[in-house]
Order: sequence, then structure tokens, then C-alpha cells
Amino acid sequence: MSSPALEVRRLSVSYGRRPVLWDVDATFPAGGLSAIVGPNGAGKSTLLKAALGLVPSDSGQALVLGRPARSALDSVAYVPQREAVDWDFPATVREVVEMGRYRSAGWLRRLRRSDRAIVDEAIERVGMAPFAKRQIGRLSGGQRQRVFLARALAQEAPVLLMDEPFAGVDARTEAALVGLLADLRDGGRSVVVVHHDLGTVRRAFEWALVLNVRTVACGPVEEVIVPATLAKAYGAGTGDDSDEEEELAWTA
Amino acid sequence: MDGLIELVPLPYTDAVVALGALVLGVVSGVLGTLAVLRERSLVGDALSHAALPGVCLAFLFTGAKDPAALLAGAACAGLVAAACMVGIERGGRIRADAAIGVVLSSAFSVGIVLLTAIQNRPDADQAGLDRYLFGQAAGLSADDVLVTGLIGLAGLTLVAVGFRALKTTLFDPAFAAAAGLRVRALELGMTALLVIAVLVGIRMVGAILMVAMLVAPGVAARQLADRLVTLLPLAGAIGAAVGVTGALLSSSAHVPTGPVIALVAFAVVAAALAFSPGRGVVWRAMRLTHDRRRALADGVLVDLETALHAGPPPTVAELRALTARPSRELRRGLRLLRGAGLVDRAGDRLLLTEAGAEAAGAQLARRDDWSLWLEHGARLELPDAREPDPRDLAGSIGADAVARLRALA
Amino acid sequence: MSPADWQIMVTAGLVATACGLLGPFLVLRRVALLGDAVSHAVLPGIVATFLLFETRAPLPVIGGAAVFAVLCVLLIDALRSTGLVKADAAIGLVFPALFSLGVLGVHQWTANLHLDLDATIYGEIAFVPLDPWIVAGIELPRAAWTMLAVVALDLALVVALWKELKLTSFDPEFARSVLISPRVLSRLLLVAVAITAVTAFESVGAILVVTLLIVPAATARLLTDRLWLTVALAVAVGWVAAIGGYATAVRFDASIAGAMGVVAAVCFTLAFAGRSLVLARKRTLQSAS
Repeated sequence: MSSPALEVRRLSVSYGRRPVLWDVDATFPAGGLSAIVGPNGAGKSTLLKAALGLVPSDSGQALVLGRPARSALDSVAYVPQREAVDWDFPATVREVVEMGRYRSAGWLRRLRRSDRAIVDEAIERVGMAPFAKRQIGRLSGGQRQRVFLARALAQEAPVLLMDEPFAGVDARTEAALVGLLADLRDGGRSVVVVHHDLGTVRRAFEWALVLNVRTVACGPVEEVIVPATLAKAYGAGTGDDSDEEEELAWTA
Repeated sequence: MDGLIELVPLPYTDAVVALGALVLGVVSGVLGTLAVLRERSLVGDALSHAALPGVCLAFLFTGAKDPAALLAGAACAGLVAAACMVGIERGGRIRADAAIGVVLSSAFSVGIVLLTAIQNRPDADQAGLDRYLFGQAAGLSADDVLVTGLIGLAGLTLVAVGFRALKTTLFDPAFAAAAGLRVRALELGMTALLVIAVLVGIRMVGAILMVAMLVAPGVAARQLADRLVTLLPLAGAIGAAVGVTGALLSSSAHVPTGPVIALVAFAVVAAALAFSPGRGVVWRAMRLTHDRRRALADGVLVDLETALHAGPPPTVAELRALTARPSRELRRGLRLLRGAGLVDRAGDRLLLTEAGAEAAGAQLARRDDWSLWLEHGARLELPDAREPDPRDLAGSIGADAVARLRALA
Repeated sequence: MSPADWQIMVTAGLVATACGLLGPFLVLRRVALLGDAVSHAVLPGIVATFLLFETRAPLPVIGGAAVFAVLCVLLIDALRSTGLVKADAAIGLVFPALFSLGVLGVHQWTANLHLDLDATIYGEIAFVPLDPWIVAGIELPRAAWTMLAVVALDLALVVALWKELKLTSFDPEFARSVLISPRVLSRLLLVAVAITAVTAFESVGAILVVTLLIVPAATARLLTDRLWLTVALAVAVGWVAAIGGYATAVRFDASIAGAMGVVAAVCFTLAFAGRSLVLARKRTLQSAS
């Protein structure tokens, strides 16, 4: 049996006094397309960051492919939220994608020709080849997300962890990116995505963690994305919050 | 004015300095905080550098070292500099810090060139012109204090009158503009006051130390207050306290006032950053240690309770296999629990003490409550917008609300 | 042109090169005013050197100043990393405090001695040719030689760590996930700025260094959206300021450092006006079509 792509055990994180994650257990299978879903403030992004050691955790452990995550970072490609960076930065699409090769190039060294080929392929794969020389500030939200995905592809890591890649992205881009993620899965890689749209999760993903500070449910989508667990995570019978109703409607 | 100064139980000159520092502290504390909150803390630095070309130009025009003219020149230059900063930022690409830096260094370079131009004129009595604005606080007069007080009063009045608009501008400039607030007019007014405050301040404490007076109270106050309505008065109070303390210390030790005030300000900020409840570095570190211990102990306690519920008392190894907790962590958790008298050992088997069983029960109940909250919380009516704390639902939303929650389920 | 003219321009150009290499990173990381902070924060170092060794010789003074310059940037970095203070406020807190220590030191111990701070901290570029060093048969001012060493250091840093500096300036969180520590890079950069600034202060004066760290970088930022071009243009604008400023200073008999700063400011103004015009024209074209 192969080790899961990502496994967190009894992970607890708090910001100030507020617990954000509380003894969370979750497993994401290797070679699968998995989603982390939950309401706002459920700790979805924090789960990824804490697993990678980017935020300090109170207790618990994260394993990537069976190894402690901190020493397995070379097998992880992490895609932060788009808003986390300054898009006015003087860099081209190509330069950003090249950043995916920095780890394997090593400190102080320049990129090799083989690295460049990988970068070209990653740019090609997300359909950004015509824009490779464009400054990143002049891209749309969807194009920026494609750049970030290309950077992750260039890392050639077996595990992809993506934080809200589809927030504010148009439907066409989302469909294209989901298709690409499915291709990656078929190629043997594991993908874990923080996602807010339950509809896409049901259609395109096979595994999900429903999270709301604690693990509500974790397993195959058809068992997990069901009204009973979603009610537990999002609350049942919300009166005035149309967003949540809409999300529940997707699952009906 | 003199009457007021005589009320202070100090020698006359010391009293003037102390009073001046107090007034300056309040004014720069309040006005500086607004700059700090907009991430333009060093505007005052740029304004004080911009005074040099203003003074030089005024001198070139009038041909004499008339204090009023020089001050007016400096004030005009300050306003122009402020306008340049806003213009550069609005042009895009260049951020606030770089805009401030460009204006600061350009203005000062122009000032130096003008200064050499003046020095080259044989007729003018230019000696000490560059020192005019940047001297130390030695010769502070009661009139200076009065002027500062009046400016301060004008500034505080403007802040009080425009408080709501100011708050909106700081919080959400786009909304403020959309709501038709006179954002520009207000900003202009605040900048003008800041220019004047800086000019007065640099004569009292020197240009660089004025930066400390503008930045430190705001940063210290921010650690202690979350709302603008408490933040501004607090910053004013801290500024005043820092100013007076510094002035008294310096007069008793016979050292220059400005540097002592700046060092006192720095000490206050350092203390606030370290010890502010809820935010301070030390406080957070202690909290993190405490949280980690508690999270671990609670988690292991529940693990053990679950294991005991399912079968016979487990060994450490069995418990580890059941919970998938890293073994070092598990041992540490058990140590904490045994220290608290919640867990006992029978041979190599683990047991809960009576208190431990109770604590585990309470902990499980809390977790169940949280699940209930997630499922039914939306239907629970609460008197206000209080938010639940997952670890202590009853404590955060009230025992009565938890009882109603259970009834809902 | 006399040899002295060349020597002044080359020295200023070397300062511009060192500043142009580092300035763009400071501007991108929103700590443009670091040079200004360092220029004031070194005072206690100079005073301490004078008290301890009773010397105003350049090398000990640079050493003493460098200690406090590094202390200054590391304190700023530490304050920032608490997450409680923004970069601008951190700068505004640290340098007045250090400067105050210096002023108190001057007052307490050196008031009766002759320590002319202006001459010590604010070097005067006009005097640069008065102190020649002959290295490998080439005669250049001492300031030019020391700046050459600093340029070599900065160039080595920027070239060797180019991709790391770029990554940590752009996306620190991702950088941490690939084990390139933003904190280490930030400290390296800041220490390089501190050393560069201190060495340059002693040769050409503080305000020129502060200006050359900010204005050429900001100008370059307006002109291009490529990082390497930003750095190259910053160096180029610095040289324009050095040569143009010297010519202007000679022509109008003005302060050399001041004139160089003014030329840099003119470059910025031209770039700003040019960019605004281009943007405005683009906007009219768009609304027309």
C-alpha cells in the first residue's frame, strides 16, 4: 500500500485565542484529486500552511508521502493565494514560472538548459505561451492563476497543494484548470485543492475533506459531500445566508 | 501664558521646556498616528528636510534673516513637498515609501544647492542659515509654547470635527470618495497642520527627533487600543507623557532634551511591543506555549478516553497505534496529564483518574457542543453578534444558549 | 578637464553603481528610506570610535559606523518581523533612537574635544582627490578604491543571489515553501545596504548616498517592468546624475553633492512626466476606439 499524498494527524492551530484547527485528522490519497471544502473561516488555507510549516501549529503532525512534511518539501508544489503577492512586481510570466525551478537548481546557481525546457513545457501546458514575455501585472485574474499553476508544474513535484486557485476566476479558466488537474492526476500526481464551489467538487474531484475547525468528514466525494455532512459544516437551515443555501442547492 | 508656567513647580526655563514638550507630544502624537495608520510614518521626515529649500528661497527673496519670512518659506516648501508626494503616488507604480524618499532627497539636494548659491553671494549675511531650523531646543520661549499650543488646538479641533470622515478615509478611501466625503479637503487640512507641527517641532527637538515624536506614540497606542476613537486620545496622552518625562529627565541630568525624549519614546514603544496584552511579543510567546500544552493535553486526554471506551486500558504503544499521534508528542502529553493528576498508570497500562474521567467527559461534551453549533448554530438566536469559541462554547455564548442549542438538536 | 574632475566623477559613479545595484530591491521591498535611516543611525558608532580610539581616521570610523548601521537595519528587520509594526514605522522608530544615543554621546563626552560631525559623517566629495592611493600602478582617490571594493561586493551579492532576491521580493510565502528563507535574504540585503551606505557616506556625504539609493531606483521603476532592466537603468541614471551633476556644479559653482541630487531628481521628473504622457495618450486612444 502506498503512503497517502498528504496526511495530517491531530493538527491544532490557533491565531491569538481562537482555535482555527482543532485536532484535525485527514488523509488525502496518492494519485488522487482531492478538495478541502468548508465555510469561510473553517481553517482551509491554514491547514495547508500549517502542514507545510508556514504557520506554527500547537500540536500534531503532517506527513507528505509518508515522510514528515518539513523534510519532504521537495516533493510538494505549493500554490499560495493569488492575493498574497504584489502583481506590480517587475517580472514576466516566464520569470515567475522559472521560480518553480529554483529549488532544484539550488542556491547561487543559475538555471540549466534542462530547467528552461521544463519551464517552456509548463507555460505551454497552461496555455500561456503567447504571453510568456508579458509583465505579470498586465494579466487577468484567470491568467495569473494559470501562471501560478505553471510555476507549480515546473516544480515537477509529485504532490500539488493549491490554496483557493479558483477564487475570482472565470468559468472557462476554471474548467480548463480542472481539466489540467485531472490530467495531472491521470499522470500519477496527487492534487489537493482548497475550494469553495461544491458543484465543481462533486463533478470533478474524487476525494474531499469537509472541514470546519474540526474534521467534519473525510473520504470519497460521494460519501462525504452529502447533505448530512454539509449541514454539519455549513449549518442546517440557514435563514438569510443565500451563499450557503446556494451551495447546499448544488448538492441536492 | 507666564501665569500658567508659574503654576508648574519647576524653575522657569525647565517649566517652559516641560510644557512645550507636553503640548508638542499631544499634537505630534495625534497627527503622527494618522500618518502611521496610513503607512506614511516618515512623511514628517520628508517635510522637515523640505524645509531647507524653503528657508533658502525665503532668504533669497527677502535678503534678510527675518524669522517670520523664513518660517513662511519653510511652510510653503512643506506644502509643495506634500503635494508632490501625493502626486507621485497617484501616478501609479511608485509606492508611498519611495515617493516620500524621492521628495525627501530631491528637496534636500535642492536645498543644498541653494545654500551654496547663497554662500556665493558676497553681500548676504547668511551665517547659520542652515542651522536656523535644525538647532536644538535650548532657546525655547514661552511664545513658542503658546504658538505650539494654538496649532495643537487647531489640529485637535479639526480631527474632532472631521473624525467620522477621517475614520472612513483611513478605513476605506474608495468608499469615502464614493460617499462624497471631502477627502481631499480633509487631507489637505491635515497635511497643512502636520507641516506646521513639524516646523514647530524641529525647532524644539530637532528634525530627526521629531520623527520619533510623530511615530512612537502612534505605534505604542496601536498596541493598546483597537479603535480609532480610543487610539487617538491614547496616542496624544502617550506623546504628552513621553514629552514631559523626557523633558524632566533631561533637565535633571543636564543633557539635551530632544534625544532624551526620543529615547523615552523608543523605550515606551519597546515595552508596548513586548508586553501589550493580546498582541505583545512576550504575551504571544507565553500564549503559544500555553496553547500548545493545553491543545496537546486535551487531545491526548480524549484519545485515552476513546481508547478506554473501546477496550481494556492501553499501553503507551497501543495508544500510539490507535491515535496516530507522533510518539514524542504523545509522551509529552501524557507527562502533562500525569502532572495534573488526570492520568495514572497500572503497570504499563494507562488509566484515567476520577478527575481525569471527569475532565475527559467535559472535553468530549465540549466537542459535541461544537458539532451541534456547526449544525444548528445558525438557527440559534443570540442577543448580539458574539462569536463562539470552539474550545469553550458555554463560556463564549453563554450556558443558556448552549442549553437552547441542545434543545434544537 | 583635470584629473581631479575625472576622479570626482568616477568616485561618484562608483557610489551610484553600488546604490543602483541595491536601491531597486529596497524600493520593491518598500523600505526605500533605509538609507536615510542608516545615515542618521551611524552617529553613535562614530562617537564611540572617537571615544575609544581617539581617532578620526577613515577606516576605524567606517568600522564603528558600520557596527551601528548593521545594528540599525537588523533592529528594523526584527521590529518588522514581529508583525506588529509596518516597515515605515519600524524605520521611524529605530533611527531617531540610535541618533539620540549619538547626540547624547557628543554632548557628554566630546563637547570639549573637537569632533566636527559634519566633516566626519558627511564626507565632502570635492575633497576626494586630495587623498590618492596607488594600487597596482594606478592612481585613484582612496574613496574610489574603497567604493570599488564595495561595488564588487554588491555586484557579487546581486549576481550570486539574483534569483533568490527576486523570489523573496516577489513571493516570500512560496519562497519559504521551497526552503529559500526570505528572512536570510532580507538580512543579507540589509547588511549590504548598511556597509555600502557607511563606506559611501565617508567619501561623498550622506545625502548623496540617500538620494542615489532611492531616486535612480524609483526612476528606473517608472521606465521598465523588467527587474534586470530596473537595476541596469538605476545604475545608468546614477551615472547620469554623477556626471551631469558634476558638470552643473562646476558650471554654476554649486555644491557637488547637491547638484548630483538635483540632476537625479530631474531624471525622475522627466521619467514621471514621460510615463504620465504615454499613459494619458493610451487612455485617449482607448476611449476613441
